[in-house]
Amino acid sequence: MRIGAFIPELLRHLFKKPATVDYPFKKLSPPEGFRGTPYLHPETCIVCRACERDCPAEAIEIVELSAAEKRFRLTIHNDRCIHCAQCVDSCPTDAMRMDDKYEIAAFSRWDLKAAWEYVRAVVKPKAPAPAPAAPAPSANPPSDNG
Amino acid sequence: MKVQIPIGPQHPALKEPIGLRMTVEGEVIHDADLRLGYNHRGVEKVAEGRSYIQNLYLTERICGICSHSHSTTFAQGAEILFEIVPPKRGQFLRYLVSELERVHSHLLWLGVAGHEAGFDSFFMYVWRDREIVMDILEMISGNRVHYAINTIGGVRRDIDEAQRTKILDLLAVLRARTSFYLNLGTTEPSFVGRLAGVGYLSKEDAMSLCAVGPTARASNVPRDVRKDDPYGIYDEVPFEVCTADTCDVLGRTVVRIKEVLQSYDIMEYLLRNLPAGPVAVKAPRRPKPGEIVSRYEAPRGENIHYIKSNGTDKPERLKVRAPTLGNYAATIAMLKKGFIADIPLIFAAIDPCICCAERSVELVDSRSGRPSVVRWSELRRMAGRRAARDSKKRNVEWPL
Ligand code: SF4
Ligand code: SF4
Repeated sequence: MRIGAFIPELLRHLFKKPATVDYPFKKLSPPEGFRGTPYLHPETCIVCRACERDCPAEAIEIVELSAAEKRFRLTIHNDRCIHCAQCVDSCPTDAMRMDDKYEIAAFSRWDLKAAWEYVRAVVKPKAPAPAPAAPAPSANPPSDNG
Repeated sequence: MKVQIPIGPQHPALKEPIGLRMTVEGEVIHDADLRLGYNHRGVEKVAEGRSYIQNLYLTERICGICSHSHSTTFAQGAEILFEIVPPKRGQFLRYLVSELERVHSHLLWLGVAGHEAGFDSFFMYVWRDREIVMDILEMISGNRVHYAINTIGGVRRDIDEAQRTKILDLLAVLRARTSFYLNLGTTEPSFVGRLAGVGYLSKEDAMSLCAVGPTARASNVPRDVRKDDPYGIYDEVPFEVCTADTCDVLGRTVVRIKEVLQSYDIMEYLLRNLPAGPVAVKAPRRPKPGEIVSRYEAPRGENIHYIKSNGTDKPERLKVRAPTLGNYAATIAMLKKGFIADIPLIFAAIDPCICCAERSVELVDSRSGRPSVVRWSELRRMAGRRAARDSKKRNVEWPL
């Protein structure tokens, strides 16, 4: 039985570079597929409200601004968002996406809200996962707002 | 002279605030009393107002360390209610994350045990290696803590060939490092001496007090849901239930190190035999009315969820029994006849994540009623002094 078997290991590490990085001077980049903050691509949102319904934190709010113009406002309350990316999974048209930002602290919760005002898009929802996505634009109902 | 010591209940950093009141005579604990319910978050009630898919993320937040355990337990139960079976590949990935979580939880615990035993370099090295597991988890799921990999009907993300080889490479690194710690015990007698004989829980007590997880297995009760009532893929994966017969904190350490090595085997099996195919099936929004009990072996022990469905898209009732609750009765038995100085170690040994945050203890003289506060660091110094005096444990052998 030897006393202090850990000491050689400790001494060896005196000459190795540290296991940590000098944050915030050096930053590690998050891996591919990192779940950062959700954001909207208003061009493709068909206002199906799937994201609003499935968001576990109730962080997505969609209000209709004008029924005639089909204008909507989608707000993501990032102060409530738990970064689960369920909205991305639920969205049938890939309008909801995730960025890879991780330094998202703010001084006020109101700075964390992100809102988009847009006219509802007319896009055929992508086919359910197993079948190959083959959009057929001609099948869309005619629309008056493009 | 008998003195009462209250510990807790509230501490800003505690994940599970808990009131501990100990009657001591000198340094010996004569009686311990546990008061629960200080951190009632109302998760079960909230779950009644959310859809199944939302509840997946809610249950994930019951625990910060075994987050995947709770969401898997819930998903397993919900899948039976929905009458769907996740595809093979999805199951393999789900339980791959389970085992990764077990490894990161046990490594975290080993570090904490090292810290509480006064072996801080061990704590730093183990936690450095734990980063590898966290990186793998982040790579697979996109997040380090709340992986959110489960969905009802499978998992949400697939891994590609490059990731698969990378995980296998990293597992080899982890295995080499864990073997180093395994051998460390034979050559670091002070560490072994500090852990041996502390927090004794006999096999009979472990059985009668319904201890779960590594706490029970360290008292030689081979209780493991993965073997006793295999769920998912565990009936086809070869692995052993690890036990120890020393019935003390040393045994709990040994069981966890052995389990980590078993987990590497399971993960390698899963990765080498990963079937092709989809990772999830589509779930309907509403299950049939019914009820289900789902069990799962979390890193800390058996985790139970009861879900009752009334045919709507929200569960009518969700009941969660987390493993730490199952171990509280056993903790009281362990604390009795122990020393005040061992409280941190004994409490840490059931892995409740309470000890690392607790910084001061209040001593109340039962005659004068005058409280005196002992800082956690002073408690640790007392522990060190007592261990130095204690010569009978000098010759304890590392059992591995
Ligand atoms: S990431 Fe999750 S919590 Fe955040 S908005 Fe999307 S669904 Fe809601
Ligand atoms: S973002 Fe996607 S899920 Fe949400 S309303 Fe628009 S189309 Fe529907």
